[in-house]
Amino acid sequence: MPRSLGIERLYDGHAQSLFAFLLNFTRDEADTRDLLQEIFVKLAREPELLVGARDERAFLIRLAHNAAIDLIRRRGTRQRTKENFAAERISFFAPANDPDEKIFRRELAEALGGLPEDQRAVVHLKLWEGLTFEQIAAALDISPNTAASRYRYGLDKLRDRLRPLYEEIK
Amino acid sequence: MNEFEQKISRRPLRQIPAGWRAEILAAADVNRRKIREVTFAGTVASGLRRILWPNPQAWAGLAAVWILIFAVNFSMRDKSPAVAEKFSPPSPEMVAELKQQQRMFAELIGSRDVRDADRPKLFVPQPRSECAEFLTA
Repeated sequence: MPRSLGIERLYDGHAQSLFAFLLNFTRDEADTRDLLQEIFVKLAREPELLVGARDERAFLIRLAHNAAIDLIRRRGTRQRTKENFAAERISFFAPANDPDEKIFRRELAEALGGLPEDQRAVVHLKLWEGLTFEQIAAALDISPNTAASRYRYGLDKLRDRLRPLYEEIK
Repeated sequence: MNEFEQKISRRPLRQIPAGWRAEILAAADVNRRKIREVTFAGTVASGLRRILWPNPQAWAGLAAVWILIFAVNFSMRDKSPAVAEKFSPPSPEMVAELKQQQRMFAELIGSRDVRDADRPKLFVPQPRSECAEFLTA
């Protein structure tokens, strides 16, 4: 099979998940696009990267996570402050028609933006990718216990912040 | 997963912009072509290595001979203007003496050939009007 078809297959199979993960992690659409391109360019350049991977999705999430960490490290504190400001407004949920639902999604997006990056990554992978703690641990290069504790901390913060709204629309 | 987790996880995520697919795949394709070109250059280099490797000493000797030829050629070309600069033009006295010796040599061998510069001019071309006067006289 030509390599280009392999890249297309990878894109069609995983780009949506990587997009959501990176958008939640970086809170910036332009950065998400750059990182996504960086990942697929890397895969085109080094197709052998995936040869030994048992779980393609987990491997690609690991690539995405490392690329996002590198991006954040490249930036200074000033840029990060600007990023946090932007995090208050970004939404990575699909638009909703119902006003209550719209408010809930916006609040949830903001609550997620308020979590530390490491907790946000675990929460995202657990809730929207449905990965086990072992899979999350492998993807983020942490221990399963660390993944579980980060998830618990992150979820508690979300619950505290969204409790009034959640009770209201329950 | 408890009720709160389920409620959150059911929220659909935003879709990736459709235009990104073509752009990202095009960027990946361009990069892959570059890699292929680099790979081609590597293939050429390895081919050359394969040709040269069996007799490295012979190729090295040939290269040394060429270097020697270029060096000799360059050094000779470099010397020629220097040699010309070493000789100064002959002095007027030397030229006069040489002319005198040449004349004496011609007299000795009895040659009637005299240099053009010394031969008296028998006929000097004149303007046409003067030529007509000469004929009528």
